[in-house]
Amino acid sequence: MTLTQGVSTKSRSRPTAPPAPSTKGKRPSRRAITMILLVAPAIILVVLINAYPLVVAASQSIHNGTLIVTGDFVGLSNYADVVTSPRFWSAARFTLIFTVVGVFGSWLAGMGLALLLRTKIPARGLFKILLMLPWVVPIVVSSTAWNWLVGTPDSPLPALASQLGFGEVHFLADPTLAAITVCVFKVWVSFPFMMLMTSAALAAVDTGVYEAAGIDGAGRWQQFVHITLPLISRSTYISWILMTIFCVNDFPTIYLLTGGGPVDATSSLVVLAYRSVFQDLLTGPGVAIAFLMTLVLVIISTTLYRQIKKVDIA
Amino acid sequence: MSKAQHGGVSRRGFLGLAGAAIAAPALAACNVSGNSGANKAGGGGALKFWDMPWGTPAYNDLGKKIITDYTGSTKATYQIIQWNGFYQTFSSAIASKTGPAVSSGAGFQAFQFADQGQIAYADNFIESLKKDGTYDDFLPGVLDTMKTDKGYAGVPWQTDVRPFWYNKALLDQAGVSVPTSWDELLAAGKALKKVGVSGFATGAGAGNNLGAHTMVAMMVNNGGGMFDPDGKPDCVTDANIQAMTFVRELANEGIIDSGAVSYTADNLDAQWKNKKAGIGIHTPGLAARAGTTGKDLHVMDPLKSSSGTVAGLFFVNNLMMYTNTPSQEASEAFLKYYLGQIHTYWQSPVGVAVPVLKSIAKADYYAKDPNQVAIVDKWMPVCKTYAAKKTQSFAALAAVDGGQPLAQFAQAMLQGKTDPKAALTTLQQGLESIVKR
Repeated sequence: MTLTQGVSTKSRSRPTAPPAPSTKGKRPSRRAITMILLVAPAIILVVLINAYPLVVAASQSIHNGTLIVTGDFVGLSNYADVVTSPRFWSAARFTLIFTVVGVFGSWLAGMGLALLLRTKIPARGLFKILLMLPWVVPIVVSSTAWNWLVGTPDSPLPALASQLGFGEVHFLADPTLAAITVCVFKVWVSFPFMMLMTSAALAAVDTGVYEAAGIDGAGRWQQFVHITLPLISRSTYISWILMTIFCVNDFPTIYLLTGGGPVDATSSLVVLAYRSVFQDLLTGPGVAIAFLMTLVLVIISTTLYRQIKKVDIA
Repeated sequence: MSKAQHGGVSRRGFLGLAGAAIAAPALAACNVSGNSGANKAGGGGALKFWDMPWGTPAYNDLGKKIITDYTGSTKATYQIIQWNGFYQTFSSAIASKTGPAVSSGAGFQAFQFADQGQIAYADNFIESLKKDGTYDDFLPGVLDTMKTDKGYAGVPWQTDVRPFWYNKALLDQAGVSVPTSWDELLAAGKALKKVGVSGFATGAGAGNNLGAHTMVAMMVNNGGGMFDPDGKPDCVTDANIQAMTFVRELANEGIIDSGAVSYTADNLDAQWKNKKAGIGIHTPGLAARAGTTGKDLHVMDPLKSSSGTVAGLFFVNNLMMYTNTPSQEASEAFLKYYLGQIHTYWQSPVGVAVPVLKSIAKADYYAKDPNQVAIVDKWMPVCKTYAAKKTQSFAALAAVDGGQPLAQFAQAMLQGKTDPKAALTTLQQGLESIVKR
């Protein structure tokens, strides 16, 4: 198409195009009103579903009431009580450890298995299904199974440890071992999700890139570091964001296995919030913890999301 | 006809229909809300009775039958509320005026909701029990546990005692007799340890309150408790320090299983079943839960503590009436009927705890089990509630039972590493933070 043709086409189209509506100083058109009215119910519903609980929770966090009565207005004293409590910082520390181990442990395991499943191994489909089981099985069943595995000295793992000469090992009674056990349990539950995300990302990578790199003399490790990881980085960041949210908000994995014990050794922020509201019946402080958690999650998610945008630009 | 009407419906008509579609459920919701307000404890004017799974599944089947058979002027409905999340369930229902008119529930629930103005005090009902003779049928002391300054918060229907149990076969194997005092308990524990058995079996793992109950029971046994006679936290006392020093000795001697701190209720049951537990504080139904080992399990007499006192811990489970009811008369009429039927739970039996009525405790169907008789005859007369040394129960006990301070305290003591006075001081601070609110 020549420049002249282009210009002429452009000039021809002008008279047929509808005049651009000028909204300045004018009432919205009937069409716009119709659109707004059609969308309004959905928007109102979403706002009510999200905003109402948020407003109620915010109100609870600045009152000293219960789930039934609002109580007296106490300003930010619930927040002050929470952040000056050693238990909050102990829970925050465990939440951090639990999240870091949960995210990167499950990512490493998931990616390793995703890479393994790309190779030609027999019964690959069956392995994929079996490896998905920890993610698919309800957490109540998993935690019961793990409790059976490590709960008492007669359980299989402590019995094995005893036979191997480690003496009587209490996986859930010793604070350090309990924390390790809970983190390993989280990795076990979560790696299939990471495996699935990584498998999907790896499937989108053009195999021709590896062939070209091979011709250029790149080894397998170099291909992995310089080709695979950058090409799946967008998916990786997304899975990190999701898993971070899953870990910080993870209540059942911890609560069903250890209840946050022994002596708070595995109490995360969400467990602490639950126990404050529903066991100590301190609604205000419990909700304040939940709000602080939300704030931290928003910061982490935003940071990682910006990283994704950087990857997109690159 | 405009262009927009080609589909058979005009734009205005469509919007009108959409508006109507949205308004209909909204109006319906308003109507429901209005109804619930008018009928209060709803169900079309029926009286709602909420019950917990107190025994085997047959318990709730029987409960439902009792309620179905009720022929009072106000129809009654039956709903099972699971223990998991029961506080949320009750609280949200009460807040939205859709809660029960009468319910069973946790031991201190009545005091908790009474404090929030949701409980109808049972004084008139108790007066009516005096007239028909039921009042005198209650075992000594149990009705008094329901008294508050404002009236009776509930009506007892069963007690959950925490007696000491022992496995006779294991004690024989260890060559020791049944302990009658803490000193003998220590000696028996050492002997049991030599045969690989715990002489103070308990658990404080996920969802298991028994460890906490055991610690309080030991304090109460020694003449102590968590509260002073005015109901203020009073943990750091000589009696409590002495009791917890004894517990620490049990832990350090290896008499308490070092894994006990993490044992769930199932883990602990497994220890009893597998003959790894020789002596321990447990629920009245332990023998029934221990499978074939149950035949070797017996209730011990209350022990004489280091300070020479004899006492135990119990929870008086009760039936409570709420202010949100079709009518108070209907609630009381239903409660009277229900109280007259509860003997069937022990007659069947369906795994409930210890009765509060003499007529049930002395009946043949109950008295055939010597363990249950021992609990009624020997333990109940010396038992106290969580409120000890205060005689009346109060709202904050709901937060104390199952709350974090006590659970942490129990775990710390079972580990055997914490100084008793330091642990009690931490417990004191924790309880003060709960009770002050």
